[in-house]
Amino acid sequence: MKPPDIDRVISRVEDLPTLPRTVLRITELVNDPTSSARDLARIITDDQVLAARLLKLVNSSFYGFPQKISTITGAIVLLGFDAIRNLLLTTSVFDLFSNRKKISLIRQEQFWDHSLGCAVAAKVIGNHLRYDKVEELFVAGLLHDIGKIVEMIFLPQAFKDINHLVKNKNILMIAAEEKVLGYGHPEVGKLLAERWNLPPKLITVILHHHQPSAAGRFAFEAAIVHLADILSRSLNIGYAGDNKIPALDKPAWDSLRIRPQAIESLLAAISKEFDDISLFITYTP
Amino acid sequence: MIHLKIDALKPGMVLARSVYNQQDLLLLEKGTALTKKRIWMLKTWGIDQVSLKGRGQNDEPSVYEAEFETRESIERELQAKFADVIDDPIMQKIMKAAGRQLQKSLTDPDKQNETT
Repeated sequence: MKPPDIDRVISRVEDLPTLPRTVLRITELVNDPTSSARDLARIITDDQVLAARLLKLVNSSFYGFPQKISTITGAIVLLGFDAIRNLLLTTSVFDLFSNRKKISLIRQEQFWDHSLGCAVAAKVIGNHLRYDKVEELFVAGLLHDIGKIVEMIFLPQAFKDINHLVKNKNILMIAAEEKVLGYGHPEVGKLLAERWNLPPKLITVILHHHQPSAAGRFAFEAAIVHLADILSRSLNIGYAGDNKIPALDKPAWDSLRIRPQAIESLLAAISKEFDDISLFITYTP
Repeated sequence: MIHLKIDALKPGMVLARSVYNQQDLLLLEKGTALTKKRIWMLKTWGIDQVSLKGRGQNDEPSVYEAEFETRESIERELQAKFADVIDDPIMQKIMKAAGRQLQKSLTDPDKQNETT
């Protein structure tokens, strides 16, 4: 059977889930210079689930604020608009895909852990490099493999063949995807990201996380997520769908200018932060 | 194969049998390595005892041997994962550092008893 080409996936992208209304409204508000923390708080408190998640998260050791934050407005003032938008995007995205079809519970949980592990690693690397918008890196890490979920749901037969190939040949998922489909999860993920009108930086990083040097003006961010993917896989955090580590892109590594001696402390920080956060942002199917 | 009570489980141990809840829903597949979060998940499902890979003496389960086996399996797994990229000196460094970090998580007492 001929695998579906990417044009067909594009046409079916119309069937892809859209982001929750609340997150879309928040995105609009964040982009509106006249909006205030109070406007944002009003929208969030309308959605009890989001409000509860936000408070749980800002009070987790991940943020390490010394005192307890009990109001949404307090959380917004402390974290800032962009950070809140990213947080809510984070926790909402995976809801869209929960409980779909016959994907096993463990598979979903492990995939979520891989995404969260990469997100934490991207944030840790960003902090190490004093990158000023680590929240963006966190979201980019979380969404970098979103194309795999799209394949799982919309191309079930191809996805089965891909997994079969990964298992038999012990290769990376992206290598198997290229054999079966002729394209990989980065291209598929990009389609979804465009459909969701995500920021260009995020779309580019999703598309180029396996070849960060090709990411043009966002090559630095793509390099961070590329390395984050490698580091979180090396720590066995979650399961990305294969048992191999992607090769390190040499120009990308050089562009980051991380001293090799720093690898040890980066891994320790990733391991610790992942343990801290994974109990707060738990995947619940 | 050894059988251990839920409270004796440690991250890194590998399941010898799949674990199901009361409704026969598959929770964790056989061959899955336990993590702190998975142990916590099993607890929340009210799982009492699980079967792990490893050897026990007589009927006494031997935690030591199970741990010994996972120490080795960490090394083995890492080497298999990195096999295609190990010519890169930076990847070698990452593999070695990750190995040390994983061994540390296995023995760190803070990481074994956390339940929340």
